[in-house]
Amino acid sequence: MRELVIVLDRLSKSFGDVHAVQDLSLTIEAGTIFGFVGPNGAGKTTTMRMLCGLTHPTGGDATIEGLHIWTDRQRVRTRFGYVPQRFSLYRDLTVLENFRFFGGAYGVPGAELDRRIERLLRVTDLQEKRTTAAQSLSGGMRQLLAIGCALVHDPSLLFFDEPTVGLDPVHRQQIWNLLYDLSHEGKTIFVTTHYMDEVERCTEVGFIEDGRLLAKASPRTLKSSFRTRLLEIDVEPLMAALVRLRELPELFGVSLRSGSLRLYARDSEKLLAKWRENWPFPDLRLLGERWVEPDMEDVFTAYSQGYHGILKPST
Amino acid sequence: MKWLSLEATASVAYKEFLHIYRDRRVLLLVLTLPPLFTLLFGHAFETGELTGVPSLMIDRDNMPRAQEFIDIISKNKTFQWRRGSPDTKNESDLLAHGVRAALVIPRGWDESLDNGDPKPLLLYLDGGDINTADAVEGSVRQSLGDFQLKQRDRMIETLPEEVFELGKQLPVQIRKRFVSMMEMWTVDRKVLYNPKARVIDFVVPGIIGLILQLLTVTLMACTIARERESGTLYQLMVTSLRRREIVIGKILPYLAVSIFLVAVIMAVSRWHFGVAFYQPAALAVICLLFLLCSLGLGLLISAFSRTQTQAIQFSVFFLLPVFVLSGAFAPLEQLPQAIRYVSELFPLTHFCRAFRLVNMYHAPAQFYVIDLIVLLAGALITFLGAAFLLRRIEQ
Repeated sequence: MRELVIVLDRLSKSFGDVHAVQDLSLTIEAGTIFGFVGPNGAGKTTTMRMLCGLTHPTGGDATIEGLHIWTDRQRVRTRFGYVPQRFSLYRDLTVLENFRFFGGAYGVPGAELDRRIERLLRVTDLQEKRTTAAQSLSGGMRQLLAIGCALVHDPSLLFFDEPTVGLDPVHRQQIWNLLYDLSHEGKTIFVTTHYMDEVERCTEVGFIEDGRLLAKASPRTLKSSFRTRLLEIDVEPLMAALVRLRELPELFGVSLRSGSLRLYARDSEKLLAKWRENWPFPDLRLLGERWVEPDMEDVFTAYSQGYHGILKPST
Repeated sequence: MKWLSLEATASVAYKEFLHIYRDRRVLLLVLTLPPLFTLLFGHAFETGELTGVPSLMIDRDNMPRAQEFIDIISKNKTFQWRRGSPDTKNESDLLAHGVRAALVIPRGWDESLDNGDPKPLLLYLDGGDINTADAVEGSVRQSLGDFQLKQRDRMIETLPEEVFELGKQLPVQIRKRFVSMMEMWTVDRKVLYNPKARVIDFVVPGIIGLILQLLTVTLMACTIARERESGTLYQLMVTSLRRREIVIGKILPYLAVSIFLVAVIMAVSRWHFGVAFYQPAALAVICLLFLLCSLGLGLLISAFSRTQTQAIQFSVFFLLPVFVLSGAFAPLEQLPQAIRYVSELFPLTHFCRAFRLVNMYHAPAQFYVIDLIVLLAGALITFLGAAFLLRRIEQ
C-alpha cells in the first residue's frame, strides 16, 4: 500500500447545534486524485477548511503527512496548496507580483523562486500575461493563476474547491490536464466538484451528505454498487410521462437522459414484466426500452436522494 | 523556527505597498492632503487675536473729546467701525445692523467728564460667542484707558501755577502718595515658552496629529477588512505566514508613508510658517510612538470589522470625539475635569502634550515620559488586540 497522505479519524465540526461534519473517517493515499462530492451544504467546504487549518475541528482527529491538522497547522501549511472556490488573489497585483508574493510568503528563496515562477508561467500558459493585473484576466486565466500560486512552494498535496465552476469547456479541459500532470508528478489532489464528468476523472471518490461520508471508492466500484443495470424507456409524450412516472410508488425517481427516461426502481425487471403485460397509461405510448450501465450521475442521484433500495448493501 | 521571517514579512510589506501604489486616487489624496491641510489650518490659526469685528459707533455727544476718543478706538484692530447716525433708535438690534457690537457715546458725555460724575459709555455685545464678547469688551476698556491717560496728562499740563504752590505746602509723604495715585499702575509682563504668542507654534502638533490620525487610522482600518471582503484573507491564512508577519508586514508601508507625511508637514511648518523644531530626536520618538499607536488602532478596527464600510464607520466614530476633546487646537484646560479624564484616553492628547513640552517648553524628558509610556502602552494593547482578533478569524 502506498503512503497515506490524509488520514481522517471521526473528524467532526459543529457550529452550535448544526453538525456540519459528523464522524468523518477516511484515508487518502499519495498520488490519488480524490473527488469529494455531495450536495450543497453537505460539509465539503467545511471539511476542506478544517484540513487547511482555517477552522478547528470540534471532534475527532485528522493528519496530513502525519502532522495534526490543527495543532501542527503552521507546519502543515507548507505541505499543501489551496485553491478556494472564490477567486482570492490580489486583483490589483500583476500575475508576476501575485506569484512573487505567495513565493515570498512561503519563504521560497529568491533564485529558486525565479526558476519556479518561470516554470509555472509556462505550465499555466500565462507567460504573455505576466505584467497583466489579475483583475484584467479572463475567468479561466484567473483560475490558472490561482492554481499556479498554490504551487509556488511545490507542495505535495493540493486542495481544489470547485476549481472549474463557471468555466467554459476548453478551460475546464485545460485545468484538468494540469491536474493530471500534477498527479503524474506524484502530487496528491483533493478536489470538490459538482460536475459528474469531472468525478469520472478522479481515481477515488467520496460521497458526503449531511456531514456524513456515504461511500468512498473508485468511480468504477461506485458505478457497480447498483443491484442491477438501469432501465431506460422511450415514451411519448415525454414530459407528460416524466411527470406521471415520478408519482409511481414502485419508482424512487426518474431522470431525463437524451430524450429517454431513466428509471430508478427497486426491481426494474419485475416492473418491466408487469408493464409488458399491462401498460397502465393509455394516454402514453411506450416506444421501446433498453438496459444501461449506471454512470456517475446515477450514483450521485442515488446517494444524494437516498435511493438506497437500488444500491447493493454496504458499499 | 525564527520568531520572525524577514523575507516573509518583507513580501507582505511589498504587496501592501503595491496596493497603496496601485490605488492612484487614494495615493493622490494621501500625498496632497497633508501639505494642503497644513497650509489651510496653519493660516486659519496663524494669529489668535480677534480682528475686524464689525461694530457700530453712535456718537450722540458730537463734541471734540468724543471725536478724540473715536480716533483712539479706531486705531484698535479689533474693530471694523461703522458710524451710525446720532438719531439711531434701534442700536440694540445688532442683527439688523449686521454688527457684533455697538458702542454709544451718550449726550452730555464730554461735559460729564469734567463735572465729577462721568457718564458710562453704552456697549451692546453679541453674547452668541462668549470669546468675541469678552475680547471686544476688553478692547473697549483698553481704548478708554488710553483716552483717560491722555486726558490726565493734558490736565496736569494745564494746571494753574497756584495748584503747584498749594501742593508744595503739603508734606512730602502725602505728595508722593498723591503722585503714585495719579500714575497708571502697570504690569511688566514676560511671556515665557512662546514669547511671540504665536498660535501656529501651539497648533502644529495638532495639525500633525489630526492629519496622521485621520489618514493612518482610516487607511490601516481598511487593510484587513479589504482582504476579508475580497476573500484573500483565507488565502493569506493558509500560507505559512504567521500572524505577526502579516501584522508587521502590513504596518511597515503605512509607517513609511506616515513618516514621510510627518516630514512634509514639518517642512511646510518650518519653511512656510517659520516654526522652529527643537530636539529632533525627542520629537522623532514622540511621533513614532504616536504613529504606532494610531496604526495599531487602525489595525484593531480592521480586525474587528467585517467590511471596509464598517471599518470606515468605526474609524469616524472613534475620531470624532478625539478631534474635539484631545486638545489639539484648544487648551485642555477649557474642558471640565471629568471630560479631561476621557481626553487622557486618546493618543492624540498625549502626542500633543509631549510634542508641545519638547518644542515650546524645551522640557527635559521627565516632564513627558508619562505621555510616552501611555503611547507605548496604547501601541502594545492595540497590536496585541488585533493579533488576538485575527486568531479568532482562524477558528
